[in-house]
Amino acid sequence: MKRLARLLARLYPRQWRARYGQEFDALLEDVNLTWRDVFGVALSALEMRMKTTTAPRIVDLASRDIPHGYELETVVEYPRDDGSKMLVRGFLREVDLGDSYVTLTHSARGSEPAQTILVCGKKGQVAGDFRTDETEMLVLRADGTVQRTEQTVKTWLKYDAIRDRLREKYHSGMKAGFSPDEIHQQIQAANSLEP
Amino acid sequence: MSDPTLLVLASLAEGDKHGYAMMEDIERFAGVRLGPGTLYGAITRLEQRGWIRPARSNDDRRQPYALNPEGRRHLEEQVANLNLIVRAGLKRLRHA
Repeated sequence: MKRLARLLARLYPRQWRARYGQEFDALLEDVNLTWRDVFGVALSALEMRMKTTTAPRIVDLASRDIPHGYELETVVEYPRDDGSKMLVRGFLREVDLGDSYVTLTHSARGSEPAQTILVCGKKGQVAGDFRTDETEMLVLRADGTVQRTEQTVKTWLKYDAIRDRLREKYHSGMKAGFSPDEIHQQIQAANSLEP
Repeated sequence: MSDPTLLVLASLAEGDKHGYAMMEDIERFAGVRLGPGTLYGAITRLEQRGWIRPARSNDDRRQPYALNPEGRRHLEEQVANLNLIVRAGLKRLRHA
């Protein structure tokens, strides 16, 4: 049983093994292992592996209310296929002016030049859960070029309520001492349990 | 109270312990047996949050952990919340 548990412990990610491997092996030596423990080791190793290799990780997140809207700053770490990681830094400002709205997004992916997107929208007719808006989008690139697009877009009205609920979850979770990434995982776990 | 992270914090509130000592202590005071995988999953999360830290040890392999002030604060808050629930539950059961 101990031998099998030690073999399964090798499934933990390399970084985890480097930090906890020796003391974890010592614990496996000390404990009278059951089949349930062995299964638990395999499950925990796989969970740790999924967390560290495939899922993006929220490194930092800050949100604040501003007149008629809010601002959001995020730093998210995305794993690449070759094992390296890429940081994506983002800033979002949404302002609702009643009949219209303005959204400003500034983002930088890894070492690539940053890009800014400004969307000005005029609210239109509502049908069911959707509203048809007239928007103007400006993409401001680091090389100085600006791409301007006018289009009619359908806006999902439930998005605002979902966004506000998520902001509240992050706000209360961070107040309780959880990291943004832990809150993200809790939200994902809760969603996966929904029927 | 079966959240492994809370059980580990409660165990370390008594003093520094390594993994096996935590498992035994938790089984004694909570009647819950945490397996090695679950225990180290909780230790990993708690250290990432900065609520516990590795403590000094003469044993190269068995690493003891100590509670940080932030971890103690979180435990105090959680225990206070649980206490409220227990008191409300007992009161309602008496009236049922």
